[in-house]
Amino acid sequence: MNPDPFTRRLFFRHSGIALGSAAFASLLKGEDKVGSQTPFPHFPPRARRVIYLCQSGGPAQMDLFDHKPELGKHFDKDLPDSVRKGQRLTTQTSGQNRFPVAPSVFGFKQFGQSGAWVSELMPYTAQIADRLCFVKSVHTDAINHDPAITFLQTGSERPGRPSIGAWLSYGLGSLNQNLPGFVVMTSATKTDGQPLYKRLWGSGFLPSHHQGVRLRGTGAPVLYLDNPPGVSRTTRRQIIDDVNAMNRLRLKEDENPELSTRISQYELAFRMQQSVPEITQTGDEPARTWKLYGEDARKRGTFAANCLQARRLLERGVRFVQLFHRGWDQHDNLPRDHQRQCVDTDQATAGLILDLEERGMLEDTLVIWGGEFGRTAYCQGKLTRENYGRDHHPRCFTLWLAGGGIAAGTTYGETDDFSYNVAANPVHIHDLNATILRLLGIDHLRLTHRFQGRNHRLTDVHGRVISGLMT
Amino acid sequence: MAIPIPPLTLSHFLLAIITIGLGFPGLSANPVEFAREIRPILSDTCFKCHGLDAAKRKGGLRLDQKEGWFTPREEGTLVVPGKPRKSILFTRITHSDPDDQMPPSDEVRQLTPLEITKIRDWIRQGANWQPHWSFTPLRRPDLPKNDNASRTLGPIDRYIGRRMAEAGLQPAEPADKATLLRRVTLDLTGLPPTLEELGNFLQDPSHHAYEQVVDRLLSSPRYGEHLAVDWLDLARYADTDGYQDDEPRTMWRWREWLINVLNDNIPFDQFTVEQLAGDLLPNAALEQKLATGFLRNNRVTGEGGSIAEEFRVEYIVDRVETVSSVWMGLTTGCARCHDHKYDPVSQHEFYSLFAFFNQTPEPGTYRGLAKPSLKVPTRPDQKRLREIEQQLSQSDGDQRQELEEDRKRLIGRTPDTMVMEDSQRRDTFILERGQYDQRGRKVAPGVPSSLPPLPRGVEINRLALAEWLVDPEHPLTARVTVNRLWQHHFGVGLVKSSEDFGVQGDFPSHPNLLDWLATELIRLNWDIKALQKLIVTSSTYRQASQPSPAARQIDPENRLISHAPRLRLSGEVIRDQALFVSGLLVERIGGPSVKPYQPANLWNEIAGPTTSAYAKGYQQDTGDALYRRSLYTFWRRAIPPPGLQIFDGPSREVCISRREQTNTPLQALALLNDTIFVEAARGLGTRMIRAGGENQKTRISHGFQIVTGRLPRSEELSVLLNSLKTHQRTYLDDTSLALELVNVGESEPDPALSAPELAAYTAIANTLLNLDEAITRP
Repeated sequence: MNPDPFTRRLFFRHSGIALGSAAFASLLKGEDKVGSQTPFPHFPPRARRVIYLCQSGGPAQMDLFDHKPELGKHFDKDLPDSVRKGQRLTTQTSGQNRFPVAPSVFGFKQFGQSGAWVSELMPYTAQIADRLCFVKSVHTDAINHDPAITFLQTGSERPGRPSIGAWLSYGLGSLNQNLPGFVVMTSATKTDGQPLYKRLWGSGFLPSHHQGVRLRGTGAPVLYLDNPPGVSRTTRRQIIDDVNAMNRLRLKEDENPELSTRISQYELAFRMQQSVPEITQTGDEPARTWKLYGEDARKRGTFAANCLQARRLLERGVRFVQLFHRGWDQHDNLPRDHQRQCVDTDQATAGLILDLEERGMLEDTLVIWGGEFGRTAYCQGKLTRENYGRDHHPRCFTLWLAGGGIAAGTTYGETDDFSYNVAANPVHIHDLNATILRLLGIDHLRLTHRFQGRNHRLTDVHGRVISGLMT
Repeated sequence: MAIPIPPLTLSHFLLAIITIGLGFPGLSANPVEFAREIRPILSDTCFKCHGLDAAKRKGGLRLDQKEGWFTPREEGTLVVPGKPRKSILFTRITHSDPDDQMPPSDEVRQLTPLEITKIRDWIRQGANWQPHWSFTPLRRPDLPKNDNASRTLGPIDRYIGRRMAEAGLQPAEPADKATLLRRVTLDLTGLPPTLEELGNFLQDPSHHAYEQVVDRLLSSPRYGEHLAVDWLDLARYADTDGYQDDEPRTMWRWREWLINVLNDNIPFDQFTVEQLAGDLLPNAALEQKLATGFLRNNRVTGEGGSIAEEFRVEYIVDRVETVSSVWMGLTTGCARCHDHKYDPVSQHEFYSLFAFFNQTPEPGTYRGLAKPSLKVPTRPDQKRLREIEQQLSQSDGDQRQELEEDRKRLIGRTPDTMVMEDSQRRDTFILERGQYDQRGRKVAPGVPSSLPPLPRGVEINRLALAEWLVDPEHPLTARVTVNRLWQHHFGVGLVKSSEDFGVQGDFPSHPNLLDWLATELIRLNWDIKALQKLIVTSSTYRQASQPSPAARQIDPENRLISHAPRLRLSGEVIRDQALFVSGLLVERIGGPSVKPYQPANLWNEIAGPTTSAYAKGYQQDTGDALYRRSLYTFWRRAIPPPGLQIFDGPSREVCISRREQTNTPLQALALLNDTIFVEAARGLGTRMIRAGGENQKTRISHGFQIVTGRLPRSEELSVLLNSLKTHQRTYLDDTSLALELVNVGESEPDPALSAPELAAYTAIANTLLNLDEAITRP
């Protein structure tokens, strides 16, 4: 079929409510049906699935990946004005009369054939360095958490825009019949740190069935999944049979597409009651799994358990899995608290990459690790040799990518000696998102949705595909 | 020269079908109308570089206004009527040299062959240029003749009938009375009719029976509660501040004001002026000041490290965008950073609007609530306070002390509500690229030049702006307002993009009807209830919802309204209806928000106990608060009420003028399993046993009728009867299971009923509440 970019957009524009839901009904019939209606993908996809490991709060790049030996020479000296260039700061530190440089307390070594620098906080990630592409030159616009993480996930600091997973659901549809195409998990055991918001996985102005479905770490894995007390699976089957029988009688009189969609959604709901708990029941996992992900993965709601569930979801045809792990916001006590964050996440992250690789899934799965911004080279609060805090820093931070289409074992972009400014090959969040879409076979300029008179894109009116990140 | 129109490929062919089939059925390409068919194409493909935005304009060519279209330029004339090949517009879009072809080949949006053909046909037919419809002055159009002698047709029906006839469609038969009663009761009150109301209506043969029902519904206090929900979405009302820690705030007094004035039916012009500038009215009453809470419902941040002025600017931008969208259907937000690409709003004009809202002494960063704010006691409390005042003068001693304590208590329980107040004069500047610290030229308050001017001789402030919006000469306000009311009753507005009346928005399906309704609203002195009465008493509204085979074929979207639309109920109405039919609903107007059932740990998992307000997570209420109407549910923006979200509720972070209607498995799971729906099923089951007669058939029929407004057919009855027997066996075999089911929820099951019997009927009621018919407005 001619890949006319407008067919789909016009289709959605003109189709309205009735066809919108009819389209959703077809989404549930699997990918082939979607493919026949839409011109996507625009390019041969390099990845078919995504796991996004979002580290909320802002991990400190110079304590984890962006090794800056020069900082050591400047301990407790003011950050040179030539570096700071009068750029704006948050009001948490803009009132400080000094900006003393805080070198990382952590040791760095080079790993693998690529010789990537990784700090001692990430021993497991260090072992998979050759499978990763470190992007040292990511930068963003906002300096506060709420706008920055909203920007990271939706391409806009203001609410109302679809999240990246919703865009992919809209563009590519679902790969399976029993589970949603876009699933979100937050580390339920990690309840301190910056709050999250539903808009981070929301559908914005896209139809709401494109929003992420949260797989919960406590209670019923999906809201309202469990039958109420006193209703057995047999009784539930009976009730759904009756509802559908009567809805079918109506359908005979009135060939309403909404009604046939509703009938299939009740069947899907019943199947989900079976298929969703299976994901969380990890009793069938081999011993190797626990070795890879760590014993933490046995405990529901941990980051490690969520990593394991992410792989299980992918195996069952979920296209986009988004994990959020909070608590990276160390304005003080950074050495202690970053260490804790890494203990919670490092092993399972690396385990997930290795597991995907062993199962032959890494080659067409894109994995993204990163937060909404980085942290300052200068200290917030009291600086000692052993302890310091760091403020938010949007001008450069490190994020890594792995999997389908990614230039593994490489580092892209450079920062200056203070990890304060990008020195070479900047990657804006819009560029990152354009590249993510490209890896999935989508031209970011052509995945659009008309809302309030404008054809909106994930990348707004910006974004360049960064070919240096791709093979 | 041959016109190089590429051959139609399969996808173009499909596109043509889609466009013809779903656009405006019944209107073929001939004759081509500029406003409806050509401007949208040009706007979408050309205005970006040839529009209002001077900074981005290429070749000095402007296509968004008439100037320059027909006068010769250096390279020729843009449009020569009747002669496409002499018209640069046409030769450039069909140029064989890619370097000269428009749009440039690197533009994603290219013209389709069908669009090129349309432009050609339009030029051939004489190139009649028309201004964008929504900015043209509002004039009352002539009524079409009543050309169907067999029916008495009102104005609405004549317009609708005319378009239908042009498309070769016939209106559907009138809906049966039971369906109509369910439809109008749900539309006007958000609750279904009772069996008694149904019986009365069915038995009343008089011509006025329906009108009497409409009058009864319009004067029901439930009307204001239901209509308020649309406005709460527009007003981005919520109970939290919406950024980061998302701290609670109290704006519910404004919500209560809204419900009250909707019930009072204050005219829409007054409704407008009070919300935008009630504080500036001469001798403003407390409630008029309270009304300006509308403008303070936006999100605010208290996040540490935030730069105050950056966010204060955000709040004002939000107000400009909200007011523009709600009253004018204009998306002004683009003009924050640059001249609007499509609509006549320049960046300068955006900041002129900004200036109106820039005079309030509101801080830039705060949590929850900040000054200016007001304590306005609720209406019952105001009444009581007045009584106390009177009694105080005649009492002494203990009685006096008692009264004073009562007064203290009433004032003490009155929350602060944020309001507007023009007490901090600020200069306003254009902000380059929309950045708070990039000040450009200074601007004065003013309105876009494409719209009528502000009144002369008055102070140019928010009050002037509000009065300008509701001036009968304003081309947008009345159109936008009647369109939203139409949307309320038909699911889709006459202008489908009810938030966008600009050139990129949808063209009205019935332009004359829209204008007639708009002029009628003004003629009725902005009486909203009267306009709604006009709509719901029309034959168009009263049709059956069954489409004819022809309608299905020609007009699958039903834009011609040849039958009534079936609409899935909103999350609020679905829950309220369940509470109502089960007898659980606690009706009480207004008051603070309530926290009904919510799955455990939901807040903590996402946001944690970040602030003291959330230290204990979600503190569910008990008793009556569990059974209030859904518009009173505590709305936390970061984690909105999950039951309402699943049914397409918005986040209330930004102004929204229409909701989606999706159909998902999560909706099925919520309706089947959410505590409130299970508890409601038990309530309904109890009613079936208690009031449904002695045998199973009559009991099932009773429940069925309560939920759907009709009696079950024999096939339906037999499905339910068989299942009732199965459920009875299940619960008799395992009484503990029955006890578990009938004890779901906090209200007590009827102790006189046996648990297995009640459980079986609960299962049947659970079935009924999940029927498509139950959650659909027929």
